[in-house]
Order: sequence, then structure tokens, then C-alpha cells
Amino acid sequence: MDFITFENVEREYHIGNTIIKAVDRISFTLSKGTFNVVLGQSGAGKTTVLNMLGGMDSCTAGRIIVNDKEISGMSEYELTEYRRTQIGFVFQFYNLVPNLTALENVQLAEEIAPDPLDAREMLQRVGLEKRMNNFPSQLSGGEQQRVSIARALAKNPQIVLCDEPTGALDSETGRMVLRLIRDVSNDLDKTVIIVTHNVPISEMAQTVLHMRDGKIAKTEFHKFPKNVEEIIW
Amino acid sequence: MVRGALFKKSLRDMRKSKAQFISIFVMATLAVTIMTGLDSIWFTVQNNADIMYNATNLSDLWVTVQNPSEQDLWAISKIDGVIQVEKRFSTEADTNLSGNATLHVYALNDRSTLDQPEIQEGRFNKSGAVLDNSFAKAHNLKVGDTISIKLNGVWLKLPINGLAISSEQVSVVKNSATLIPDPNTYGFIVIPIGTLDSIYGQKIYNQISVKTAPDTDLNEVVQKADSIIGDKLIGITLQKDSLSVSNVNGRIQQFKILSLVFPILFFIVTALITQSTMVRLVESQRTQIGILKSLGYNKGSILWHYTSYGVMIGVLGSVAGLILGPNLFGRILVPQLQLTLSSYRLHINYWNFAFALLLILLCTGGVSFYACWQLQKDTPASLLRDKPPKKGEHVFLESIPSIWDKIKFSNKLIVRNTLKNKKRLIMSIIGVMGCVGVIIAALTVRSTIVGITDQVYGDTFTYDQKILIDPKKADSRYLKNLGLNGITQLIQESAVEVIYPNGEQKMEPITITTIDSPLIHMKDVEGNPISLPENGILMTRKLCKTLGIDKGDSIQIKRTGEDYVPVQIVQVAYMASGQGIYAADSYWKSLGEKFSPTALLIQWNGPPDQRFLQSDAVTDWATRESQHLGLSSSMGVINFAVAALIIMGASLAFVVLYNTGILNFVERIRDLSTLRVLGFHNREIRNLVLVENYFSILIGTISGIPVGRFISWLIASSLDERMDLLGNITLSNVLIATAMTICFAWITNSIIARKMKQLEMLEALKSVE
Repeated sequence: MDFITFENVEREYHIGNTIIKAVDRISFTLSKGTFNVVLGQSGAGKTTVLNMLGGMDSCTAGRIIVNDKEISGMSEYELTEYRRTQIGFVFQFYNLVPNLTALENVQLAEEIAPDPLDAREMLQRVGLEKRMNNFPSQLSGGEQQRVSIARALAKNPQIVLCDEPTGALDSETGRMVLRLIRDVSNDLDKTVIIVTHNVPISEMAQTVLHMRDGKIAKTEFHKFPKNVEEIIW
Repeated sequence: MVRGALFKKSLRDMRKSKAQFISIFVMATLAVTIMTGLDSIWFTVQNNADIMYNATNLSDLWVTVQNPSEQDLWAISKIDGVIQVEKRFSTEADTNLSGNATLHVYALNDRSTLDQPEIQEGRFNKSGAVLDNSFAKAHNLKVGDTISIKLNGVWLKLPINGLAISSEQVSVVKNSATLIPDPNTYGFIVIPIGTLDSIYGQKIYNQISVKTAPDTDLNEVVQKADSIIGDKLIGITLQKDSLSVSNVNGRIQQFKILSLVFPILFFIVTALITQSTMVRLVESQRTQIGILKSLGYNKGSILWHYTSYGVMIGVLGSVAGLILGPNLFGRILVPQLQLTLSSYRLHINYWNFAFALLLILLCTGGVSFYACWQLQKDTPASLLRDKPPKKGEHVFLESIPSIWDKIKFSNKLIVRNTLKNKKRLIMSIIGVMGCVGVIIAALTVRSTIVGITDQVYGDTFTYDQKILIDPKKADSRYLKNLGLNGITQLIQESAVEVIYPNGEQKMEPITITTIDSPLIHMKDVEGNPISLPENGILMTRKLCKTLGIDKGDSIQIKRTGEDYVPVQIVQVAYMASGQGIYAADSYWKSLGEKFSPTALLIQWNGPPDQRFLQSDAVTDWATRESQHLGLSSSMGVINFAVAALIIMGASLAFVVLYNTGILNFVERIRDLSTLRVLGFHNREIRNLVLVENYFSILIGTISGIPVGRFISWLIASSLDERMDLLGNITLSNVLIATAMTICFAWITNSIIARKMKQLEMLEALKSVE
């Protein structure tokens, strides 16, 4: 069952007179509840794919269908609604709101989503029940990223998009964060897409899209993806 | 100025935040424009007046005495400090011209050098007259024409040999029936004393002009002259108390006060905007400062680099302000002040320029310096390290969980963010407050003046005509027995010499009338009707205030040809126009004085009695409507001032709200982008930024009302010393000012909102700055 479908999706950027094809007619499908990785060097177009899937950017050609709805061609307002209800984001630099406590950062998701999960429970799940009333500036990088995961999942989205979630963390913390993403989304039956340039991470995924120069160079399927502990970083 | 590379960097930085730097520039320009502009008005008037006084050799005091003897003159010339004395003849005369035109006649000796007319055209010689330049223009008279004046009942025909202006006629009105100078009805003429021989049969003098050395104690001269002349003395007038000079000085004083108080607001706002802009700039360039330091730039050059932003803008703003202010205000407004000066040439007060420049540099450069002082103390290594995320802070409200828990998250965010940037909040509140205050003041001053004219010529005075009469031809008995068809009231308007409790000696206008006052309705300060006291005098509120005396105090009044007698102030009245002393005729007589009416007020029951109006006893008359119109005609200048004030207020609100809005947005662009990505709609994001503005608009508007009250009062009380304007603000003016402010704020907010729509959420998320 195809949950996410890209059909000949293309994204062009005009910079002055030059046209840059960030994503060049790619097609792929992903199933519901899977754990996926988009792998590639910087400039390969992987973040553009993530942005288009997250409704933050639109394609210049082709179709993007998510959960039987075509999101390419949606209006600004519809895209916002889509992000609000369907998508959870985890960023490389966490992007917590500095003026809100950990708990409030998660409650923020609660406030906008139609069917949210309990904020306190989500923070317990990521192991931060004791730091709920701390501000982001009082948390370590790993802790901030855990708050950010809790926030993404508290919205109870269909899809969790992670852009280099371990990029700013040391390897031990990175592992823990990845395990969390994987476990929690597994429990909640979420579709996860991680964008990274870090090859070993791809060994955790069921589907790996290798991107190069805006095209999908190779698609890999792992019947038995590895556990985080098995990965050699 | 700065090392090449850094200078280029600062220009680029400024271009990047051009809205902020333009705002600082605009505010600095406004502050300097207003300060130097208002200052240039009084400075120009003062200098041009002084030049004119010097050129015409204006006397320092005049001793009015009937037929002074040579001994009198000689004795006065021997008083310490007196350097020159001259006698002349000074009176008023009717003319053969239309419209009740009257001329003040100065008859001078051939060799006279004091109180000379300043010739504009033609010359002054033995055989003819020199006529008031603006009076001549108003009546289409030229050099070579003739004019007839009536002195002692005899018409005197004089050739006009020259046109001139006079230091004693810079700002004078014809009489108490006129309110603003009008060259159609009043002017002056200077004639050689010899031309009067034919009328009076001899040379006639009634005034001694006295010139003293600088720094002479004039009071001593006055006392000595008083004892020399003795009983013959009619009065002594000091130059500063003479009509024209005191009017001019009053004007100078008004603008001095305004130029000191008014610009303060704009300087404060300039400093606040600079502060918020520079703090943000310096913070965002934290790493750059680290790089510069590690490259080997020293502390001083980095400090100067950031200070120079403010200095540059400050210098640019003051250059613009120094050009705009004196030219807009001094050059354009001074000729509109209805002062007849020999020149309106702009005079530059370089001290004020320097002071304005210093102030603005403190508000821009000084504030910039302070903003980067903190950062430059850090070591390059710590600067180059990433800054920890901005600290969130618990706020007071959180300690009351019953409230805090019920607040929506977005409101929590607004509350925390607002309280974290208190300076910015204060800045926008001050801006809105200033805007509301200035607009309220503008509207209040306008409606007060409109209201005053309505009040004075609607409530206080209810006569149809004010008829000035010649006391020599018509005494009160004659007037009472005229049998005119209407309600009449006789008044005597003159001046008395008064000694106040503090020892100050002054000439004050006095009005004497009947206790039963059917056409003048006086009210006390609270607005209750009052009548003239039977055993004392009534004084107007403004006069009491200027002198620092009150109801119950006693002053000394000089009786004609006798010494002083103490009288008590029994009543204090509020009179918008016509400040002075009021007394009942019965009380006046009980002091041993005579009641000789100078004017008859009348409310006709039918058409005005033309036979009476044309009679010899009547010297002039004015209708209440024409007086009313006379006051209203100065509304043009008022409307201009009101428009200028509103524009000033609007730019204040705009600049401040725009800046806080944009800063609020730019500083949090990452947070807002995150929220946007999480699925917040544009509208919701906009509220996060703009609610803070709504809040400052609310607080600013409320606190702007007392500010408006203060500014109104300030302007009203310094506007004209003959008027007592209370400057009370009305609800409708407050509402209009509020509506206008909200309108400006709404425009500003929609501009910010449009800017925010262009928010590139992806750009902001890419990396940590």
C-alpha cells in the first residue's frame, strides 16, 4: 500500500539567469509505518525532497501524493493545514522556542493539532519527565533534541520528517536519539523519513533512497534493518 | 573616518537594516529640526528687534509729563546713568482716511536722535511727515501723497516725505477694541515738532525720552525722575513695559519655552530606537567581533567602528535638521508672526546648534557606544564560540498557576517575550504616548482658541457694539442721559501704577465699570457667575498667577497725583481675554478717583443710532462680530501648526511601532519560522508579533492622555500673555486623537504584516547564526 508517492517530481530554482534543478524528475513510493532514510552528499537534493514532502516547498513539475491526497498544487493555507495535522518535524538544530519551557514547547504542538497526544506523557517517553519546566537554554543538545522529538510526535502526525537529527550531536547521544525516533514511531505506527549524509544510519532503514545530483541513484530495501546498537558509526 | 574595510562593512550593515537606520535618521532629523527651528524663531525675532532698537536709538524709558520745563530735562539728564534726554510730543490722531483709521503721532525735534523712525523709502525733513510703511501700503499711499490728521480739533495736511517703520510699533494694536495688529485701522506718523505750532500756537511737548548707559539701575532712575517731576508726572514707562517691546518679548518668551520642552520627546525616542537597533546589530555580529578581534583589531577601533554607526546617522540627521529647522521655522514662520521688523533675516544661534548636535550625538553615538561596550569586553575565543540559546525566563505571572495555566501557549509566548524586551516595550509605549499627546495637544489648542473666541464674544461679552468715546466731550452724566434705545454699560479702560507685595512696580490695565454689569458677565475660576466687589478689586486669574498673588492679598495702587493706597483683591475671575484689574465705579470713587468712561457698550433694541455714532463724542466703534472675526482670522496659522503637530505625532508613532514590530520579528525569525513549519497559519504568527504592538498602543494611548493634557497646558499657557487659555482637554478631542493614533498604528501594522508574509521559513531554519 503506497502511503507516499512521488511521480516525476521536479524542483527548479532560478538564481539570476541560471536554472538549477535541485530535484530532477524523481519517482518513488513509501509505505505506511516504515522507517526510511534519504541518503546523499550535501547538494544532492535530499533536503529539497524533505521540504516538498513537508509542505514547506512546492514542486515545479510532477505530483506528490500523501495519504491519497495530492499535496502538489495545494494553496498556502492548505499546506499549512497539512503541516499542522500530518507532519512532525525534527530539526538538526532542534529549533525549540527559547521563551517556552520544555513542557510548553510540547504543549504548543498539542494546541494546534486536532488529535494530540498528552505532552507530559510524550516527555516521559523521551525520558525528560524531570526537566519539563526547564527552558531550552538549560538543556543539553541531546535533551533539546529529545524535546523536539516529543514535540513532533505529540501532534500525532502521520509522518515524522527528520533533517539530520544527529548532525549536531556526539555519536552516543546520536544513537540514543535515533533509537528514540525509531522506537516511539514504531509504537505509534508513524512513517519516518530521515535525511542524512551519514551512511551507517541508512542501515537502520527499511527503504534507503540514495540521491546524487537531484536524481535517485539507487533504491535499497532492507528486509531486516539493523538495530541502532549494531551500527558501526 | 574609519579604516577602509570597516567603513565599507558599516555601510553594508546599514543597508541591510535600512529601515532601522532610516528611522533613526528621521527621528534625529525631527528632533534637531524642532529644537533648532523653534529656537531660531525667538532668536531671529530677538536679534532683528535688537538691531532695530539700536538702529533707531530706542529710549530706555519715557517720562510722560505735561509741558516739561528745561529744568526738568536738565535734572533728569544729571541722574546717574542717564546719557541722553530729549523731549517729544506723542499722541493719537484721527485721519481723513476711510475705516476709522487712527495714527499714533510722534512729533520730534529737528535735532532729535532718540526714537527715530527707520526710513524705508524717502526721507524725514522739516516740512513733511514720515508715515508708517504698512499703513501706507494698506491705504495705497505713496511718497509725495498727502495725508490729513486731526489734532486738537484742527485738520493738519501733511505731505508724505517718507515711509518708515518704528521700534515702538513692532507689535501694537489700536486699542482695546482690536485684538490683532491691523494696518488698515492703525499706524503711526512721525512729524517735525514745528508743524504743530500752527495748531497749539506754541511748541508743545508731553514726553521725555531717556537713554541710559548699559547696566544702569532703571528703578533708581525712575524714582529720581519721579521726585524731579513731582506732581506734574503722568507716568513713567520702561522700555520693557512699553506696549510693543513687551509684546515682542512675550512672543520671544513663548518660543523659548516651547523650544526647550517640545524636542525632549523626540530626543528620547531617537535614543531608544538607536539603542534597540544597535543592541540587535552588535548581538548578531558577535562572531564577527570575535573575528575582528582575533585578526588583531584593538578594542578602541572595534568600539569606534560600532559607535560610528550612530555618529554617522547622528551627524547626517543633525545636518538635515539644522538645514530644515531654521529654514522651515525661522525663515518661513517669523514673517507670519505679525511683527513689523526692519528685517526678517534669519539669525543662527550657533550655541543652540552646538547643543542640538551634542544632544543628538549622545542619543545616537553615545547610545551605540554603550550598546557594544558589553560585548567588546569578552575574549575573542568566547565570542567565536556559538552563543548559548537565548535564555527563557520565568515571569511573575507563572507564580499564580490559576491564571498562568489557563493562558494559551501563544499568549504565554507573547507575555514572556514582551517582558523580556522591556526597553522595546517602553520605547513603543513612549512613541504612542507621544503621538497621542501631541495630537491631543494640537486639537485642544485649536478648539480652545475657537472656543475662547466663542466664549469671549458669546458668553462674557454680550454687547452689539463697543463704542469708544472721548472723555473730554462726554462724561458719564452726558452718556447716561443720551436716551439710547438699548441696554448700555459704561466702562473706563486705562492703566494704573501698581506696587505688588513683592515690591514690584508695574503699570497694569484697569477696567472700571458699574457693579450692575449687564453686558460683561464675569465668572470665577470654577465658572460661577460673579460680580464686581464693593470694597476691593477683582483681578484676572492669569495676572494673579504671573504675579504669584491670590485672593485676599493686597496691592498698592497709585492715585492720580497722590500717593499709593492699599486695595484688596476680593475676587479672582477667569477671563480668557482681557487680563488686568477690574473695579466697581463706586469703589473707585471711594478711593478719591474719578469715573470717566472711555467706552460705551451697547446692545441695541433697534437699529444702531447713527446720529450718536457720528457725533463728536464717539472716536471709534467696533461690533462684537468684527472683534470675533478678528480673533478667528489668526486661525490660519493655528491650522498650520495643528497640521504640523499631527504630522510630527504620526511620524513618531509610525517610526516607533514599525521599529518594534520589525525588530520583534527579525529577532525571532528562527522561532517564528519553526512555528510556521510546525503548521501555524500566517494570521497566528502575525498575532505573536503584533499583539505586543497592540498592547503598547493600548498603554500608550491611555498614558498619552495626561501627556496631552500637559502639552496642551504648556502650549496654551505660553501662547499669548493677553489670553488665559486653560487648555482643558475634551472627550471628543481625546477620542479623535485616539482614533487617529489607532489608524496610524493599523497602517504600520499592516506594513509589518506584509513584510512578514515574505518570511522565508526555509532560509531561517538552515543554520544557527
